[in-house]
Amino acid sequence: MDRTATASARFLDPTVLARIGNLDLLARTVVDGFLNGSHKAPYLGQSMDFAQHRPYVPGDDIRRLDWRLYARTDRFYVKQFEAETNTDVVAMVDVSDSMAWTSDAARPTKLDYARFLAASLLHLSRRQRDRVGCVTFDDAPIEHVPATARNLDLSLMALERSRARGPGNLERAVHHTIPTLYKRGIVLVISDFYEDVDDVVRAVRHLTGRRQDVILFHLLDPGERTLPPGDAVSFEDAETGEQVPVIPDRLREGYEAVIDEHVAALRYALVREGVDFVPVDTSTPLDHALFAYLTLRAHTTRRR
Amino acid sequence: MGLAFLVPLALAAAVAVAIPIVVHLTRRRRSKVLPFPSIRFIERVPYRVESRRRIHHWFLLTLRALAILLIVAAFARPFVDRSAEAEAAGTGPTERVVLLDRSWSMALGERWSEAQDAAREAVSELGPLDRASVVLFARGADAVARSTSEPRRLREAIDTARVSDQATAYGPGLKLTETILAESELPGREVVIISDFQAEGWTGDEGVVFPPGTRIRTVTVGEGPIENATVAEVALNRRQVEGRERVSPSARLTRTGGTESREVEVALSIDRQTVQTRRVTLPPEGASAVAFDPVTLGADQTQGSISLTPDALPHDDIARFVLSPGRAQRVQILVPARGAARSFYLERALEITEAGDFEVVSSTGSVPSGDALDAVDVLIMVGRPLGGGAEMARVTEWVREGGGLVLVAGEAGGWGAGGEAIFPGALGGTEDREGRGERLATLDYQHPIFERFRGPRQGDFSAARFYRARRLDVQPSDVDSVAILARFDDGSVALAERRSGDGRVLVWASTLDAEWTDLALQPVFLPFVHQLVRHASGRTDAFESFTAGQIIDVADGRAMESAGLGAIAEAIAASEERVVLTPSGVSFEITSGEGSHFLELSEAGFYEIRPPGRDDLRPVSVAVNVDRAESRLAPLDPEEMVAAIRNDTDGLAGGIAAERADALRRADQERRQSWWRWLLLGAFGILIMETILSNRLSGRRARSEHARV
Repeated sequence: MDRTATASARFLDPTVLARIGNLDLLARTVVDGFLNGSHKAPYLGQSMDFAQHRPYVPGDDIRRLDWRLYARTDRFYVKQFEAETNTDVVAMVDVSDSMAWTSDAARPTKLDYARFLAASLLHLSRRQRDRVGCVTFDDAPIEHVPATARNLDLSLMALERSRARGPGNLERAVHHTIPTLYKRGIVLVISDFYEDVDDVVRAVRHLTGRRQDVILFHLLDPGERTLPPGDAVSFEDAETGEQVPVIPDRLREGYEAVIDEHVAALRYALVREGVDFVPVDTSTPLDHALFAYLTLRAHTTRRR
Repeated sequence: MGLAFLVPLALAAAVAVAIPIVVHLTRRRRSKVLPFPSIRFIERVPYRVESRRRIHHWFLLTLRALAILLIVAAFARPFVDRSAEAEAAGTGPTERVVLLDRSWSMALGERWSEAQDAAREAVSELGPLDRASVVLFARGADAVARSTSEPRRLREAIDTARVSDQATAYGPGLKLTETILAESELPGREVVIISDFQAEGWTGDEGVVFPPGTRIRTVTVGEGPIENATVAEVALNRRQVEGRERVSPSARLTRTGGTESREVEVALSIDRQTVQTRRVTLPPEGASAVAFDPVTLGADQTQGSISLTPDALPHDDIARFVLSPGRAQRVQILVPARGAARSFYLERALEITEAGDFEVVSSTGSVPSGDALDAVDVLIMVGRPLGGGAEMARVTEWVREGGGLVLVAGEAGGWGAGGEAIFPGALGGTEDREGRGERLATLDYQHPIFERFRGPRQGDFSAARFYRARRLDVQPSDVDSVAILARFDDGSVALAERRSGDGRVLVWASTLDAEWTDLALQPVFLPFVHQLVRHASGRTDAFESFTAGQIIDVADGRAMESAGLGAIAEAIAASEERVVLTPSGVSFEITSGEGSHFLELSEAGFYEIRPPGRDDLRPVSVAVNVDRAESRLAPLDPEEMVAAIRNDTDGLAGGIAAERADALRRADQERRQSWWRWLLLGAFGILIMETILSNRLSGRRARSEHARV
């Protein structure tokens, strides 16, 4: 691996990214680093919005000549178009209290990771000429930035401002977000999905029922996959404040089985719904998620 | 021998050992609260309730329980009870007090050497852990060796002890022994009393309480027949003959023991020269008197003695005395110009004395002034008023400096302005007593004037009739400073006294002639007048001898004056030093300065006191005789004394006393072993170890938890 690739990989490390305060800069860094590292940017957008006219020069595609203008002015002008997205990409970021957690103080919390991921995905989408928007939610939408070609900054600002608050409820949040999704698009749901699988499935059905392609990023901290060592600890639920005294050493195996079962059940249910499910370990670099996104995005495009 | 506890009840606190166990079992360890994204899946984990009653740190629990047990055991005061062992062996640390009688009766025969041998034997029996004290006692007590285990010191104390000149008194010695035993921490206590056990020194109410369990052993010395002759009493009758004072010494001799009459030689010595001898036959268990020819006193401080031929007990074979020519008291009688006869009876009465006690001057003039007044001891105003002004001021000052004023009221007696400062009350008018007159009804027989009339047939004042008298009112406010010495039948005051400064003022409400009363015609008149004047003068008879053991405060001028040692008191008061030579030849100085200066007359013989470096001067002498009570050699049954002490000791019922003694022995053993200190030390050590260990464990847990977070 050359130096550039090494540096880029390093910049994708969430621990390193956590030190970058500006989310826009972070997203650019991630995406540029990601793209430089991949050496290929799969531009998929086909639609173009008119931007301006310029005089025809030989070699230009004559299909782009504006014949109406030629009729009025008797000169050849070529229409120049802005690249136009194929779809709306809306990132729904869970900002419930359970997201503000990390098992390692040096690592970003799940919420931070979600923001990094959402910002990077939106930035990447914007590079692909998609219209981007953002919804932050807990048990209801908190901030909603509609998907447009110019709303990347607003989306990033919304993500920047987001703070963990209250318990989460995906179905309710989706229920309130659905009316704002006018066009067919892609909804990126980034959450830890501490909900029943059925609830998640119902929420997803709301989205798919509105012809939205849904990709679920399931964020899990490594510390959530297992229990910390120790013989007597009270775990306090980040959302409800409820405490439960346990002996982790004696509960660990059961817990790991339960959480694995949950993830498996979630994956199984979502696959059945035709929804993409991307489990993300917050200790892994962002490019894992980005690759997964782009791969799935390609599949989605082909499906269309 | 076995393990015992002084406070076994404290063992009940051993249940406290359950505290750390219960805490270990029941204390819900304050588990750390860890925020977690969601407990949803934790709650779904099938789990079983883990018993909280699980002991996590057996070693810590053991340490804590052990520390509590050690502390409890320390408070229970454990010890190994060796009482039975010690009793069986008859040994064990013992505090032994050897009480050695050194009263002068111990000088009889071989008593003293026997007593010393017995004392040496008592201290030679000491075990290696024993301690002993040697207490010498006579009238006082002195611990010459106190609670020591060094045999050499004890033997030296016994070897250097000497018979004193003091009489026996068991109380001080036993009290000192009681103190020594009470201070001792040794479990065993023993008292060895070595004495001739004279009954004279035992009163039975010494109030001695020895600690419980004290063994008392007595060693009686000098048992067997006793024969002793004593100069029991000396009388020195003075008589004024042709202007010179002559003393007629006489003595009473007693004899104890013996079976046949014995002739003894009695010698009178003056200034250490035998001047007369007499031979007297003393019957067995009898007494005789001996009288010597009068001796003319030529000089002050004449040393004299009456002695017998020394016998086995020489201390009481001599009686010493010091004589000085008596000084007649100067009495100034002032009578009115027209009433010179009013003092006739008074003057005659004062002139009639064997030793010429009074030097009477009668005049009709005014009160003497200056040195003339200072030379007067007693001023008697008979029916003559004392004027106010300068005369009153002069008399007032003279009285306050020690003069004696007697005012015989009569018809015209009284005092002028300023007299209320020294006279008792106020003189009123003349009161006639109707019929057969009044009698003296109430006399203060506690007062020195009337004290000698106290006994039966010692003087009958009731025979005297009083037909007239002046009213003498004593103000209630004067009651504290004024003494009413005699009252008439009707309660009115007949004689009152008021002290003023160093002097005295007496007011007689009637007369001392035959005009208002017939008192002057009564036999009691002469001694009454003598006592009245003597008391007014403030002078008392000088001490001719003291008893060994008495102490004189040479700074007390009045007491020294009474003892005939006024010159010494004046010298000390004037910051002049005096050298005292004791009968045994030891000399020391009486220094001047503030406070008391005591001269202890511990030896029999003559103490001589003179200015330092002036051997040429005739010294002031103090004659000291042994206490004659010691001559009564009747013995006391030692068992009686022991029983009395034991009764005091075992004042409680026998069982209770035994319990107390047992408790004391147990306490002594526990105190000597003091295991509790080591137990507490061990407990603290364990607690420190426990603290270190638990901190280390806590730190380790904290680190591991921190690493997890």
